[in-house]
Amino acid sequence: MSAAAYSRLDPPQSPALRSFEAQWQSRTRDSLHAWREPAMQRFLGLGLPTTRDESWRYTNLRRLAAQSFLESSEAAALRAATRATALRDGALRIAIVNGYPQLAGVAAIDGIEISSLRDMARLDPGALGGYLQTTSDTDAQRWALLNTALFVDGLFIKVRSRVTTPLVLVHTTEGAAGTASHPLIIVEASRGSTATIIEQFADTAATSSLCNAVTHLHLDTDAEIEHYRIFATSPDASHIDTLNIRQQARSRCKQFTITQGGGLVRTNLASDLLGEHARLDSFALLVGHGARHVDCHNVARHAVPHTQSRQTARSIASGTSRVIFNSKVVVESGASHSESRQSSRGLLLSPEAEIDTRPQLEIHTDEVKCAHGATTGRLDPNMLFYMLSRGIDRATAQSLLVYAFLADVLTDMASAETRADVETGLIAQLPDSQLLQEFR
Amino acid sequence: MLNIANLSARVAGKNILNGIDLRINAGEVHAIMGPNGSGKSTLAQVLAGREDYEVTGGSVQFLDQDLLALSAEERARAGLFLGFQYPVEIPGVNNVYLLKAALNAKRKAAGEPEVDAYEFLALIKQKMKFMEMSETFLSRGVNEGFSGGEKKRNEILQMLVLEPKLAILDETDSGLDIDALKIVSKGVNSLRDPTRAVVLVTHYQRLLDYIEPDYVHVLSGGRILKSGDKSLALELERRGYDWVRASLVA
Repeated sequence: MSAAAYSRLDPPQSPALRSFEAQWQSRTRDSLHAWREPAMQRFLGLGLPTTRDESWRYTNLRRLAAQSFLESSEAAALRAATRATALRDGALRIAIVNGYPQLAGVAAIDGIEISSLRDMARLDPGALGGYLQTTSDTDAQRWALLNTALFVDGLFIKVRSRVTTPLVLVHTTEGAAGTASHPLIIVEASRGSTATIIEQFADTAATSSLCNAVTHLHLDTDAEIEHYRIFATSPDASHIDTLNIRQQARSRCKQFTITQGGGLVRTNLASDLLGEHARLDSFALLVGHGARHVDCHNVARHAVPHTQSRQTARSIASGTSRVIFNSKVVVESGASHSESRQSSRGLLLSPEAEIDTRPQLEIHTDEVKCAHGATTGRLDPNMLFYMLSRGIDRATAQSLLVYAFLADVLTDMASAETRADVETGLIAQLPDSQLLQEFR
Repeated sequence: MLNIANLSARVAGKNILNGIDLRINAGEVHAIMGPNGSGKSTLAQVLAGREDYEVTGGSVQFLDQDLLALSAEERARAGLFLGFQYPVEIPGVNNVYLLKAALNAKRKAAGEPEVDAYEFLALIKQKMKFMEMSETFLSRGVNEGFSGGEKKRNEILQMLVLEPKLAILDETDSGLDIDALKIVSKGVNSLRDPTRAVVLVTHYQRLLDYIEPDYVHVLSGGRILKSGDKSLALELERRGYDWVRASLVA
C-alpha cells in the first residue's frame, strides 16, 4: 500500500509543497510510518510558513516556495563519498551526503557509539520514533515535521563517557539543481559524559539546494556538550535548520551557530532546561554578505528552578543582506531562581543592509533574573580614526574592527583547532579578507 | 618642518580655529598652552587629519608637502604622530598587531621591507622595558581596560616604535601621577634630536619641568595670542591666562 493513502484538507498551493507531497506519495511505507504519516499530514495542513506567522515575520519564503525540489538520491551520495574530504588532525570526521552517513572506514573512538538511523529504523523503530516530531503547534518546528516524514537516513550518536576527540559531521548535498535533503542527527549524552560535535554544512555540487536538517541533543545529568553548526555553503543554497536540546540536571550545553555562507539560512534553536542547574550558553555569529538572508530564532525554556541560559549574538550585515536575531526566554511557573541573559550586538557595514534584533521574555514566575540588551550601529569613527592616525590604511582598519567585533564570541570556543577553522571561514567572508590574514 | 599659515577650522558648524600662524623647525620643542575651549585639541586633531573637522582657510606645509591634501593615514606614514588626549580602547584588536601594522604601513610607504616578526618582538620588548610597562600589555586589546596612566604610556610606546619626525602630544600629562609623568617625559626626551620636533599641548606648566620647551605659545579663542620662551610658561602659571588677555588689551 502506498503512503499516499491519507486525506488532507487543503490542496498544496506552492510548487515546493507540491514537490514535497509528490516525494511523500512515491515513498513506500516503512517501519516508521506511524510517525511519518501524522507529521506529513500536519505539515501539509499547515502549509509553508509565511510572514504572517509570528516566528517567520522577517523571513519571506516566497522564492523558496516557488521552487520545485527534487528528492536527494543515495546513488549521488555514494559517488560523492569517494571524494571525501581530508581528516583534520585529532578529529573524527564523518561525511553525511544527502543525509546518508558514510560510515565505511570510519575509525572507532572510545566512549562514542555511532550508528545509522536506517539501521535503527529496521532494528528498533519504536526507539527512533520516540525522537520524531509528529505534531507541532509552533511555527518554528514546522520544517521538522517535513524532516520526520521525508528523512531517509542520519546518525544516532551515543556518548558514553568523557570523549576528547571532536566529532566533525560534514553535511553536503549532491545531485541535480534543486535537490532537497533532510538529514537527521540524534545525540544522546549519557550521565556525566562530555563531547564536542561540529556540524559543518559545506559547499557541494548541487545548485539551488535545500537542506532541511534536524538535530536532537539530549543531555543527561551532568553531561557536557559543545555543539557547533557552521553554514559555509554558496549563496544559492537554502538552509532550514532545527536544533532541539533537552537538558537534565547540572548538564551544560555550549552551542555555536555560525552563518558564514548560504543564501537563505534560517536556524531554529529550542532548548528545554528540564533539570535543576542545567545551563545553556548559545552563541550566534551571523554574517550577512551580498544579498544573503540570515534568520536566527532561539527559544530557551526554563521548566524547573535554578536553571540558566545565556544567548549571545554578533551580527554583521554588508551589501544588501539582512540579518535577524530573535531570542526568546520562557520561564515557566515554578521555575524560580532561574537566570537568563540575552545580548545582541549588530554591525551595519552598508546603508542597504539591515539587522533586526528582537529579544523576548515570557516569565510566569517570581524571583528570576532575566537581562537583555541589544545594540546595532556602524563602525565607531573614533576607533577608525585612531587606527588611521597610526598609518594603517582604511580597508585594513575597517577589517580589523569588524574582526574585533566578532572576536569576543570566538574566545568562548573551547577547541583551539575549531576556533582556527571558524576564524578562517569567517575572515574569508569579510571585506578585504586578504588584509586580515596577516593579523591572525 | 611644519609651517602653519592663517589656519581656520570649524567643528560641527562652529568656528574653533581663527587664523593660526606657527612655524616649527627640526630639533625644536614647542609647548602650546591655553585655557579650556581655546582650540588646542582641535589644532592637534586637524593636523592629524580628522575628517569631521573642517578646514575653512589657511595652509599647512609639512616637510615640503601640503599636509591638508593628505589623508590621516598618509600623514602618519609621512612622519606625523598624534598622541591622543583620550586614547581609544579597541577591544579585540591586539595591541601588538596594531603597532606592527602601523610600523609596516610606514615602512611600506618608505619602500622598505616589512619588519621581521622576531626583530619586531625584540624591539617592542625593549621599548616596553624603557617605558616600564609590563609584558602583559603584549597580549591585550588596544588600550583595553588600561588605566589612564597606562594609556598615556602606551601612546608614548607607539611613538617610540614609529619614530615620527613630528610628534604632537595632546595633553599627554593629564591624569598622570608624578612617577608616570617622569616615565612619559623620559620617553619624549629620548626622541629629541636635531632631525625631529615635538609639540606639547598642555594646560599645566608641570610637564615643562620635565620636557623643556624651546618655545611656548598661548592659544585663546582659536588664535595664538602670545609666544615666548619657557619663562612664558612660568609667568602663566603665576599670573593665569587672564593676564595674557589683559596684557593684549592694554
